[in-house]
Amino acid sequence: MKRDSDYKEKTTLATIIATCKTTNIARVVKYFVTKYQPLVLIAVVLFLSVIPLFTNKSYVLGVFCRIFLYSILAGSLNTINGYSGQFCLGVAGFFCVGAYSEAILSTAVKMNFWFILPIAGLITAVIGLFVALPTLKMQGIYLAIVTLGFSEIARLVALNWTSLTGGPMGIKGIPVPEIFGFSIRTAKHFYYLYLIMAILFLFVTSRVVRSRIGRAWMSIREDQLAAKSLGVFTSRYKALNFMYGAFWAGIAGAIYAPYVRFIDSTYFTLDEGWNILSMMIIGGQGTLIGPVVGSVIVNYLTELLRPIGQWRLVAYALLIIVMMWWRPQGLAGASNSIVAVKGDTHLRKKTAAKGVGV
Amino acid sequence: MDYFLNQLINGICQGAIYALMAIGYSVVVGVVGMVTFTHGEVIMIGAFAAYYMFFLSGNQILLGLIVSFIASWILGYFVYKVCYERFFNAPRHVSLLCTIGFSMLIKNLAQIIFGPNQKPMLDVVQQNFFKIGVVQISQLQIVIIITVVIMASLLSMIFNRTKFGVMLKAVSQDKTASYLVGIDVKRIAMLGNSLGCGLGGIAGLLLAIYYQTLQATMGGPLGMKAFASSVLGGLTDVRFSALGGLCIGIIENLGITVSSASFRDMFAFGFLILVLVIRPQGFVSKKGAKV
Repeated sequence: MKRDSDYKEKTTLATIIATCKTTNIARVVKYFVTKYQPLVLIAVVLFLSVIPLFTNKSYVLGVFCRIFLYSILAGSLNTINGYSGQFCLGVAGFFCVGAYSEAILSTAVKMNFWFILPIAGLITAVIGLFVALPTLKMQGIYLAIVTLGFSEIARLVALNWTSLTGGPMGIKGIPVPEIFGFSIRTAKHFYYLYLIMAILFLFVTSRVVRSRIGRAWMSIREDQLAAKSLGVFTSRYKALNFMYGAFWAGIAGAIYAPYVRFIDSTYFTLDEGWNILSMMIIGGQGTLIGPVVGSVIVNYLTELLRPIGQWRLVAYALLIIVMMWWRPQGLAGASNSIVAVKGDTHLRKKTAAKGVGV
Repeated sequence: MDYFLNQLINGICQGAIYALMAIGYSVVVGVVGMVTFTHGEVIMIGAFAAYYMFFLSGNQILLGLIVSFIASWILGYFVYKVCYERFFNAPRHVSLLCTIGFSMLIKNLAQIIFGPNQKPMLDVVQQNFFKIGVVQISQLQIVIIITVVIMASLLSMIFNRTKFGVMLKAVSQDKTASYLVGIDVKRIAMLGNSLGCGLGGIAGLLLAIYYQTLQATMGGPLGMKAFASSVLGGLTDVRFSALGGLCIGIIENLGITVSSASFRDMFAFGFLILVLVIRPQGFVSKKGAKV
C-alpha cells in the first residue's frame, strides 16, 4: 500500500517536472514567435524604431548602432561559416576594404555616398572572390589560414600604402551621407541608417538562404560530396557564397566609415576579427537570428564589462570555449545541422568498442 | 651585394628559429591530427618564461632553455585537455574554434599579467661580430643556429632511436592501427602535443634574444608563420617543415632588401598564399595523417 503511494508520488513529481520542462518560458516564447512570426517581427521593428524618440543620449544610441553594425558583420560571416560550412576568419579584412573604399571614394573622388555604397560592396565582393578562388578545392583549414593571412595583408597595405590610404595618419574628414539635401550627422540619424541597413541585410539574406542558392549552400555544409553527386556546382556556389558574405561585410565597412568620420588601420586588427567571430560563435551559426543574438550579447557585455577592461576579452574567450564544449552551434544556432555535432560525448558509446578517437 | 649577402645570413638565422617553430607545429599536428591556433601563444609563453628565468638567475642560457621548454610543455598539456581531448570524434571546426578561444584566453591573460608593453630582453649572449670576407655574423646568430641544430638532432634521435619516438610516428601515421598494436593513443597524443609545444617554447626564447624584445601580443603572426612553414612541408613531415621554416625566414629577409621592413609579415603571408595556390600539398606529397 505504502509502496503504491510512493510510486504515485514519484510519478506525480516526475510529471510535474516534465510539465515544467515542457512549459518553460523559453518554449512558450519560441512557440509564440514561430506562430505569430510576422506580428512579432513588426512589433520588434516598431519598438526599435521608436527608441530614439524616448532617449536622446548619444551613448545609448551608439551602443544600438554598434549592435546593428555587428549584426551585419557577424551575419555576413555567418553566411560563409554557418550556411555553407566554409571556414573564413578574415572578415575584418573585408570590413577594412569596404571602409577604405568608402573613405577614399568619398574624400578623393567626392562621389555621392549612395553611389559608393554598392560600389564598395562590389569591390569587396570581387576581392572576396580573389581570396576564395585559389582555395576552393582545399579543405577548411587552408581557407581559414588564407583568409586570416588576407585580413592581415589588407591591414598592412592600409598601414603602409601612404599615398592612397594615408598610412598611419589614416583618412580624416570623411563626409557624412546626404539624402535629398538632408545630411545624416547625429547619432539619431545614424541609428535609423544602421537599423534600415540591418533590416535590409536580414531580409535579403532570409530570401537568399531560402532560395535555390541558399539550399545549395546548406547542402554543401552538410555533405559536400553528396551535394556534388546530386548536381550542385560546389565550387561555383562556394565562390558565390564567399562573394555574398564579403559584399555585406564591405557594406558594413562603407556605413561605418562616415559614422566615425576618421579611419585608420587600427580599427581592423585581427582582434576585431576575433571579436566578430566570437559574436557569431556565441550567438549561433546557421540561423539568421544567431549572429544578431551574438551581437546583442557581446556588445552588451562590452558595455557591462567596460570597467574591468582587458578582462572582457578573457570573458569572450571563455565563452567561446564553453560554447565549443557544450553547445557548438551557439545559443540560437541551427540545432539540426552539422554545426551542432558535439565532441566525443554522444559518439562515445559508438566508439567505445574502438576505444580510440580517430 | 654585401647587403644582400648579410641579409641572407640574417634570413638563415631567422629561418632556423622558424624551422624550430615549424618542427614543433608539425609534431603537434601529426600526433594530434588537428590543426592548432595556439602555437603562437605557446611560443610567447616560452619567451616570457625564459625572460623571468634570466631575470632571476642571471644570464644562464641553459637554464632558460630548460625553463621555457617546461613552461610550454605545461601549457601544451592544458591545450590538450581543453581543445583536443573531447573533440577527437567531432567535426574539425569545433576543436579549431576551441583553439582560437584558448589562444585568445592565453593572449589576454598574458597581457594582464605581463603588461601590454614591449619588454627589452636581457643581453644573454655577447654581441661580438665575426667577419668572414664581406659577410659578418654575430655570436648570437651562431648560438641560435647551433641551438636549433642541437634541438633538431635531439628530436630526430628521439624519433628514430627510442620506443616513445616510434610510438609518436605510429600515432601520427594511423591512429586506429596504432591502437590495435597496443599503443595508448590518447596518452601519446598528449605527450606528443606537449613535446611540440616545448619546442615552440624554445623557439620563443631564441626569438626573444634575437630581436631583443618580447611582448604579450607577439604570438599571433608567429603562430601563422609556424603554420605556413609546416604547410610547405606537407603539415606533418617534420624534416620538410624545417626546410619550409628556413625558406620563409630567407624570403622575409630578402623581401626586406627590396622594400621596407614594415612589409615583413606581408612577404611571409604572401608566400604562403602563393604556395597554397601553386602547390597546396607542400614540397612533398606524403601519405599518412590527413588534416
